[in-house]
Amino acid sequence: MMIFKRFIAWIGKLIITGIENVGEVVMIFIRTLRHVPHAYKHPNLIVKQMIEIGVSSIPLLFVTSIFTGMVATIQAEFQFRDLVADKFVGTAACKMILIELGPILSALVLAGRVGSALAAEIGSMREKEELDAYTVLGLDPYRYLAMPRFLAFMTMVPCLTIISNCLALIGGWIVCVLALDITTYTYYTGMQYLFQSMDLFAGVIKSFIFGAIIFVLGYYHGLNAGAGARGVGVATMNVVVASCLMILIADFFMAALLFQ
Amino acid sequence: MPNVNINPDDIMIELRGLKKSFGRQDVLLDVNLDIRRGETMVIIGQSGGGKSVILKHMIGLLQPDHGTVTVDGVTISTPEYFDTHTIRRKMGMLFQMGALFDSMDTGENIAFALREHHPELSEKQIQETVTEKLKMINLVPEFRTKMPSELSGGMRKRVALARAIALNPEILLYDEPTTGLDPITSDVINDLILDMQSKLGVTSVVVTHDMVSAFKVADRIAMLYKGRIIEVGTVEEIKNTTNPFVHQFITGQRKISVEDDSQN
Repeated sequence: MMIFKRFIAWIGKLIITGIENVGEVVMIFIRTLRHVPHAYKHPNLIVKQMIEIGVSSIPLLFVTSIFTGMVATIQAEFQFRDLVADKFVGTAACKMILIELGPILSALVLAGRVGSALAAEIGSMREKEELDAYTVLGLDPYRYLAMPRFLAFMTMVPCLTIISNCLALIGGWIVCVLALDITTYTYYTGMQYLFQSMDLFAGVIKSFIFGAIIFVLGYYHGLNAGAGARGVGVATMNVVVASCLMILIADFFMAALLFQ
Repeated sequence: MPNVNINPDDIMIELRGLKKSFGRQDVLLDVNLDIRRGETMVIIGQSGGGKSVILKHMIGLLQPDHGTVTVDGVTISTPEYFDTHTIRRKMGMLFQMGALFDSMDTGENIAFALREHHPELSEKQIQETVTEKLKMINLVPEFRTKMPSELSGGMRKRVALARAIALNPEILLYDEPTTGLDPITSDVINDLILDMQSKLGVTSVVVTHDMVSAFKVADRIAMLYKGRIIEVGTVEEIKNTTNPFVHQFITGQRKISVEDDSQN
């Protein structure tokens, strides 16, 4: 009986903690959104974050996107060889990349690179009392730290997704021309075949949601980072794990919503 | 502890029945303290005893579980009091490790709050204020381009002090201002605390366990022990205390006399 009571208490505590955490994440989001109308007063802070989050991520995204495009295209050709015409390789690559691979891949790469960096930065600032220093000076950290980062995520993640899409398609074209004996014309006409503008828009819409997920989880884990180097390390690990999971779950629901 | 002989108008900060726990750990049990306008109050006590927690209550970074915090006649500890902004504009705080904004240089650290709170000031006026504040802490204007990572511990605290006084506060809170500094640099910081009081006429609250610093800068000293203020007095009164716990602390003895007696 005692063990049963403890089990129920443990379940109850788990549920309460879960609700508290979700509540805190929602509050971070709302507090940040509240300062978005003041964004025009802080262009320098926003541009600085856009460079750190967006421009600095391009080299990593360049390599991952090109190779993913190459792998997707080569797999499409292998799987459909002798079943469909060569031009459908371009069709498959284009559909896969624009709808799923581009947005998901960019989001996962950015969760690892900038989501973890955000958690580490905010965790370290909290540890060194910099967040308190903002408050004491009458400056709301949500306005000077969260809002610029949020806007940078919301603009840069979709931009990087579009760049990633283009690079992955170029990767597919490279592999077609150099390894698969498919001409540029065949690949290009294949890409156009069955293409719908919704394919591109769906990917971009998803990337907005992914940007918001990476930001809010990065900020949340930074604020709740434990003490010392280990605390910050655990926070960065948690944000990557949580972001990746949430991105994949959100992708499923958005796929169901956008393509029903 | 409440002093009934003091005119209420002379009280700048008033703590009444302050209680605070973190999880199961009770940090403050019943803190009562009056800090007079223009004085330097030093709060002493053991490490981890809750001195910094008191300081954070004074500036509204923490809310008490029970009790009230009144600053310049305004009770800031009630859930209804949301306008902490106005009261914080009257206060400046020097954090234990400085808490300088790492991504900004020294000048920007000092100018940042000034620029945000006084958009009417021209860039020239802001830079003049930065120079003036740097001079007040005995640093040359060329220091404005240094990044926090290039500064020593003492320098960081001096720059943090310049940032704290940038908005001309009426109250300055110092959280362990000399911790981690060598005796000479500690003395420089002590002199700066005295300077701030004489030049700016601010009310100062210093939290420390450095008794050399406490005796040098204090008008009055309050001793925090086991979540309560057990003694408040002038430097002389504290030096001549009959309270065994206070005596033990200020003389740095490991065991207090009453315990020694009981052991003998």
